[in-house]
Amino acid sequence: MIDTLKADPQEARSLPAAPLALALSLALLAALTAAVAWGSTSIPAGEVWAVVGRRLSGEAPRPGTDDLIVWQLRVPRALLAALVGAGLGLVGTAMQALVRNPLADPYFLGISNGASLGAVAAIVLGLGTGGVFGLGLSGAAFAGALATFALVWAVARRRGGFAPLRLVLAGVAIGQFLSGFTSYLVLQAGDEQQTHSVLFWLMGSLSGASWPLLAAPAVAVPVTLLWLLARARPLNALLMGDETAAGLGVDATRLRRELFTLTSLLTGVLVAVSGAIAFVALMVPHACRLVVGGDHRRLLPVSALFGALLLVVVDIVCRTAMDTQELPVGVVTSLIGAPALLYLLDRRLGSGS
Amino acid sequence: MRIEIEDLHVAYDGRTVVSGAHMIAAEGEITGLVGPNGSGKSTLLRTVYRHLKPAAGRVLLSGTDLRRLSPAEAARHVAALPQERGGDFELTVREVVAMGRTPYKRAFAGEDATDRDVVARALGDVGMAHHTGRRFTELSGGERQRVLLARAFAQQPDVLVLDEPTNHLDIRHQVELLALLRERRRTTLVSLHDLNAAASVCDRLHVLHDGHVVASGPPRDVLLPALLAEVFGVRATVVDHPLTGDPLIAFDHRVPAATGTGARG
Repeated sequence: MIDTLKADPQEARSLPAAPLALALSLALLAALTAAVAWGSTSIPAGEVWAVVGRRLSGEAPRPGTDDLIVWQLRVPRALLAALVGAGLGLVGTAMQALVRNPLADPYFLGISNGASLGAVAAIVLGLGTGGVFGLGLSGAAFAGALATFALVWAVARRRGGFAPLRLVLAGVAIGQFLSGFTSYLVLQAGDEQQTHSVLFWLMGSLSGASWPLLAAPAVAVPVTLLWLLARARPLNALLMGDETAAGLGVDATRLRRELFTLTSLLTGVLVAVSGAIAFVALMVPHACRLVVGGDHRRLLPVSALFGALLLVVVDIVCRTAMDTQELPVGVVTSLIGAPALLYLLDRRLGSGS
Repeated sequence: MRIEIEDLHVAYDGRTVVSGAHMIAAEGEITGLVGPNGSGKSTLLRTVYRHLKPAAGRVLLSGTDLRRLSPAEAARHVAALPQERGGDFELTVREVVAMGRTPYKRAFAGEDATDRDVVARALGDVGMAHHTGRRFTELSGGERQRVLLARAFAQQPDVLVLDEPTNHLDIRHQVELLALLRERRRTTLVSLHDLNAAASVCDRLHVLHDGHVVASGPPRDVLLPALLAEVFGVRATVVDHPLTGDPLIAFDHRVPAATGTGARG
């Protein structure tokens, strides 16, 4: 064997994950504080933590607008942004391993489209009677996600498993089919208010945040993270291919089945609470991979943290960028995401690989 | 440890690809699998590393049916180097090799000193110790195969299964890889396209034709002009290699074999 006499470039390309995770956690904490402090009424950071501290320690809350704004409005919203961002980071990472394509996102498998159709149907047909962003609507979105999952499953399944390409093609086709229905329903929307709600939903929004709404993602996101982390090594093996995985003692068929189920459920939960937020699930794992590399033991936690941070920051922008109204969060993620994606693609193709 | 394949039948996409194969890969020997395209070599090997399930018959690892072992246990004994190349997922050379430790690790378990040691040794064995931080997808074809071989070494297997490991490699890298296999002297089951390479490297050959093993034995006894004509459809003569003394097959590249020569087997 002839080895080129080159200095070992080990770890030169990847940042160490632990300090990065710590830095991301601190940044997330700062962003959460800022998200609660900033807005139409500014509240000093110290007061933010005082209110949160009083609430957490079980002390009687001091009545007043600060308590209302901080605890009832902004804290749930900031937490929802963090949970949804983390969830999208995880869904993207898992889905990219599932279909072995580093550019996959939940739209690939149609699940987001199905959830959107459920939600839009609920708005237009007047099923979501529990308020525009009430649980009726979330329920409809989740039901739409599950129905789509079942449909894609039935169409894509062969010999008890899913070939990545077949899964993607089935998902894209079914997703397009469903978004055709969604467009039709949007045209049927009775009045301007309905159309507005529908558009907000389709672009993704965190404005429906409330404590009860946090329950589902607060369970689903950590459970998914743990489940995926427990399978970090098999996920790595899956990246190389099913045969390699089999040779390493990993049942790729079963793992892919479980991954598909899990990512669909989580996507359903996320779209149910926040609408279809574009690009985060695609961008976050991709960007994180460039920084910490592809090993899922590092990639999963870093993607979750970065996704949370990104969405909290984006939501601050959405709430504060315009004086008169807030922007749907999906608009901003698309505006940031598309150029960022082009930059990453350029970098990748430019490097000659 | 040795591999015995008993009356193996494998169907793929509803088509029978291997029917009634018997073969042995003896302890410490390099056993070659040769045959034309579509003869069932890859399918047979996939059954040995448990990607495919046999329709009938067994693959025995020193007498134990491989299907009776758990996937992880089987992977601690049998390591594979399939033909697939994987996607572009920013994995480094070291990360790819460390995957070889998968069958030894429980969920959430980190890397311990043994893992690091085994991975470092595997990288050293294939001469890639100085490339640990490079991206796997940036490597040349030859480097890639060496890294994948290191991953198989990191599994600390008793048996290596390699599916056409020299495919797409230039001649120098082919020679390097095969020399590495000979040096390691593990029980090895390898499919090869290049019959001259197989004749030099393998202790024993099995010839597959349409899913049947039609000849088995030392290369010199197996690679006969009649068989080459019948199975591979080529006119050839076998001489002694002037440098090594191994059998050297001299093909007639101008005219294919006359059809219908001789009986099968």
